[in-house]
Amino acid sequence: MEDKIKNPEIQNSQHFGTNLSLESIKIIAESIGIGNLSDAAAKELSDDISFKLKQIIQDGQKFMHHAKRSRLSASDVDSSLKIRNLEPQYGFISKEFIPFRFASGGGRELYFTEEKEIDLNDLMTTTAPKAPLEVTLRSHWLCVDGIQPTIPENPPPLAKDAQIQDSVNPVKKLEKTDLKDTSGKPAIKAHKLKTFETVHIKQLAQHELSVEQQYYYKEITEACVGADEGRRAEALQSLSCDPGIHEMLPRMCTFIAEGVKVNVVQNNLAILIYLMRMVRALLDNPALYLEKYLHELIPSVSTCIVSKQLCQRPEVDNHWALRDFAAKLMAQICKNFNTSTNNLQTRVTRLFSTALQNDKVPLSSLYGAIEGLSELGHEVIKVFIIPRLKFISERVCNMQAADISNTERNAAGHIRALLAKVCAPVLKTMRPAPDVLEDYKRDFGFLGPALHQSVMKARQTPNTAQPTSSASISVPSVTPRITTTPIQRQISQTQQGQQKFYVTKASSPSTTPANIVKIQQNPKIFIQSTPKAVSFVNASNQSLQEHELDDLSHLA
Amino acid sequence: MSANNKNDILAVLQILKKYNLKDTESLLKQEANLTDIPENFTHDASDSVLQAYQSEGDPDSYDSCYTELRKFVDSALDIYKYELSMILYPVFVHMYIELVYNGHEEQAKELMEKFGPEQEYYYQEDIKRLSMITKRDQMSGNDLTDTFKSNEFIIRISRDTLSLLKRHLQEKKASVVMNIINEHLYFDLYEGMARNKKQCDATAGALLGEARRQDNKVKVYYGLLKEPDYQQMTTQAPPPEEEDENDVDADKPKKKKQKKDPLFGKKTKSDPNAPPSDRVFLPQLRDNDKNEKIKALREAQKRVNLGPDSLPSVCYYTLLNSLYTVTCAEIAEDSSLIAIGFSDATIKVWAMTPAKLRELKSAEHLKDIDRDVDDVLVRMMDDRKADTSKLFTGHTGPVYSCSFTFDRSLLLSCSEDCTIRLWSLQTWTCLVVYKGHLNPVWDVKFSPHGYYFVSSSHDKTARVWATDNPQPLRIFAGHLSDIDVCMFHPNSNYVATGSSDRTVRLWDVLSGNHVRLMTGHKAPIYSLVFSNCGRYLASGSSDKVVNVWDLAHGHLVASLEGHTSTIHSLCFSRDGTVLASGALDCNLKLWDFSKLCEDLSGENVNVSHNPNVRSGDNYLLRTFPTKQSPFITLHFTRRNLLYGVGMFESS
Repeated sequence: MEDKIKNPEIQNSQHFGTNLSLESIKIIAESIGIGNLSDAAAKELSDDISFKLKQIIQDGQKFMHHAKRSRLSASDVDSSLKIRNLEPQYGFISKEFIPFRFASGGGRELYFTEEKEIDLNDLMTTTAPKAPLEVTLRSHWLCVDGIQPTIPENPPPLAKDAQIQDSVNPVKKLEKTDLKDTSGKPAIKAHKLKTFETVHIKQLAQHELSVEQQYYYKEITEACVGADEGRRAEALQSLSCDPGIHEMLPRMCTFIAEGVKVNVVQNNLAILIYLMRMVRALLDNPALYLEKYLHELIPSVSTCIVSKQLCQRPEVDNHWALRDFAAKLMAQICKNFNTSTNNLQTRVTRLFSTALQNDKVPLSSLYGAIEGLSELGHEVIKVFIIPRLKFISERVCNMQAADISNTERNAAGHIRALLAKVCAPVLKTMRPAPDVLEDYKRDFGFLGPALHQSVMKARQTPNTAQPTSSASISVPSVTPRITTTPIQRQISQTQQGQQKFYVTKASSPSTTPANIVKIQQNPKIFIQSTPKAVSFVNASNQSLQEHELDDLSHLA
Repeated sequence: MSANNKNDILAVLQILKKYNLKDTESLLKQEANLTDIPENFTHDASDSVLQAYQSEGDPDSYDSCYTELRKFVDSALDIYKYELSMILYPVFVHMYIELVYNGHEEQAKELMEKFGPEQEYYYQEDIKRLSMITKRDQMSGNDLTDTFKSNEFIIRISRDTLSLLKRHLQEKKASVVMNIINEHLYFDLYEGMARNKKQCDATAGALLGEARRQDNKVKVYYGLLKEPDYQQMTTQAPPPEEEDENDVDADKPKKKKQKKDPLFGKKTKSDPNAPPSDRVFLPQLRDNDKNEKIKALREAQKRVNLGPDSLPSVCYYTLLNSLYTVTCAEIAEDSSLIAIGFSDATIKVWAMTPAKLRELKSAEHLKDIDRDVDDVLVRMMDDRKADTSKLFTGHTGPVYSCSFTFDRSLLLSCSEDCTIRLWSLQTWTCLVVYKGHLNPVWDVKFSPHGYYFVSSSHDKTARVWATDNPQPLRIFAGHLSDIDVCMFHPNSNYVATGSSDRTVRLWDVLSGNHVRLMTGHKAPIYSLVFSNCGRYLASGSSDKVVNVWDLAHGHLVASLEGHTSTIHSLCFSRDGTVLASGALDCNLKLWDFSKLCEDLSGENVNVSHNPNVRSGDNYLLRTFPTKQSPFITLHFTRRNLLYGVGMFESS
């Protein structure tokens, strides 16, 4: 008999004969002035009312169906009352919500309709509400000769859920035998074999881009790193909301990764900023799921945070803004893609915190590491930055000597300001109220006075300090140690102050096979296999950089 | 006056009394010479209907009776098992009604809770409605119990299965079950093998079981009418087109939609299944209509032929700023106009081409026009009042359906206010209000030849009207619940209706009888469309399935599954090769109908032999999702471009 129940929903909805509770009936009776309703009477009423209500609602369903909705509205109930020759309930016109409020107290719970008194004078004086917009017709191509174009009006060819499944569940790909409905391309006809052999032939993944897609890729990448600010805005806009770029994602990410590699060597700040803005746009795109491409994006973004040198003239150029922006991106990535299997945030945290352990790290990288950690939230600051404050303090202190270059001194200043900013809210909660300057000096050394000042300031302002990042904080329980993941290796290389490149092996199937950047002693000479990346290297100029930085500060 | 007649009149008087219609009551009394009505006459009409449920059976025995019957079904041989299991539901329902009628509320509830959930999923909706009724007085005037009482539940059963059942009942002497089976069940016997589970399930699901064989015995003239000879009217005859397609299977009625198909060369050959052309009176074509037909034929020459390798293009019209206010949409045959019905009782007509909607000049101005000039029709129109859209107001409830005439001069609409309105698309005013339906009108459709139209309503009737008559010409009564959708056959001789009783019926316009009763849907039916050849009928339902029926014998031939929500729109391509279905799940599916026809042509069918029901997997061509825009209407243009209409439902 079990097989009789086909529909699983049915099993959960075996509510035959649900009635209004006697208590409800009594409360309703009370509300119209009948105080002592007997149980028997309430039972009789409840049965009758429940029966009638159910009938009315069931008829209302018919009106809902004919209005081609899947949600019952108040007007449906009105219509259903009308066909029973009953007066409809005037005044319930709300379509979006049920206008009942819940209240409880004295052991009783009830729902009531809220009736506010409206002051007519107020109604007269306030401006009339906006008239609803007129209904308009808009047409678009849902499909052209059997192929669904990827335009914003159409759903993305591969829904985000499917993308998530695709990257999280490896079995998914094997199961997917039916290629019919997955994308806008026509179905690939399976060849009919005359004899059946038990040989499994792995289907080659199709990654050729159509001519239109190639053109789009070219246009977008050129616009993103080109000189025309208007076009760049359009290109970024397209990246951040176009639902159809899922297929081009591997190439976009490779473009970014290669671009960062090349331009970090060239110290081309403007291009790096443009590339980070591309990352931001891709992250913002609601139709994309980037998990599969993090191996390219994270090294690029972290390079922009902790690289020793990002610009030609470190003493004047504002590479700090780029570091801030990239750190925000990193926090965003951690927030979006951290799972228990990839331990993303843990790895990123470890990466930054190693920089704090090492006293040979250049100050610019140190700044990046602090910024990167601080974006990950209060808990991270508390565990990783605060204990190292004294150590950082010493390094910053050393930079005050006369023989230190202007650049270094500048960097030290930035670090001090940054620490004062990010540590104050945390220190405020960690340390008891009377802030003694000597204690701060003792605990934090050179940075003590600055921290003291900002904490004092923080205490005066009302408590608005909230964790900057709502990402779940995963703190590695053991002391961070250096592991040899590719990301770490790259960073440790940058920390050592040598502009070296490492060999990347593109694991994305779509990238062109030759993607090897040769390691050279001279940082200025490199061989790059993608001509595109080279072509834009010289496309920037100094004035653009200035302009970019303004932009970044907006974005950040 | 016979006793029976007297009882009827007494019942009518009772009703008049109940509604306090004293004058009518006294008039009727006078006319019927009934002055000596006993004062204590309390004959309740509904009581008499339900009287058969009077039973002295022990209320506690029902439970064990049902358990025993179920055990018997379960232990039966597999070949009989599934057919036997079909009797469980009706027996259960009637047991419950009997218990409630005799005032055994507790036992009834117990029975419902114990055995209600194990009934087939497609009966759950009815079971829920039934479970609401727990008292005898709630039964009076209740649709569902009345339906069960006054109709027999029909079960198709093989002779062997039935004798097995009878033997069991006699052995057990289960009087309760026996009574129910004798009183309320009808066995439609057939010779041969008992059906298997799949076969049983395919046609089960209707409110009152399956169709009897004799329901589908009448011959249906499903062929198309002979087209009038347009060639004489045209100066330049377009060459005959697409010969190859007709050659594929000449015996199959696979011609394209008659109106548009210029079978100029071979049009003398008439369809053997076509009705005589004068079977139903059809209006003479006017010059305007002829011109329109010729235009359609020319257009049809430029048509793209569709198939698995050449899928149509789809243009989707999204209604913006209209969340939950649009109730229906209809596109004119030539795809130049679109009418949208709203829940606020208005209808808006848009021009889908750059040509604006023009209005006839006022009478004074029309007087001045020289009637002999060539462009008199153009001059009659007032360009100053032309607009891209026009609004019709007049209904007082949500508009549930609209229908254009072929020549786009008239528009019909039906509404929750129980009326049908005819609007002129030249003066842009309401011409006629057709009153007749007693309840909200769900659907209205023009006949493909104009003049006639059919409407269907919550009052369980469908009615055929002529535009020049305020009264309906035919009232089709027989459905057991709301008629949600209706459709004229391409030859205007038949009307198909789909209902909430989960059956599809075909009615003869000439006689007013129902000639086909088709069961198999498991939920109310919301869309119907005839194939261009006239032989097949496709129906979409909220059971998420598109069923295809062969009208020759009323068989279910294919069940196209795949949607995940109610199917509200169906449309055949103009060459009849592709069936498009759109649902509330925001998906458009294209089905290969020519392949289905091909597969079916090999099958030898007759009235008693049910063909295998084909599943949709082989026929699904493609699925196109939209972005949160459920489909309200689908329409193929004359050139086979597919239009979809829907509103954007932002989450």
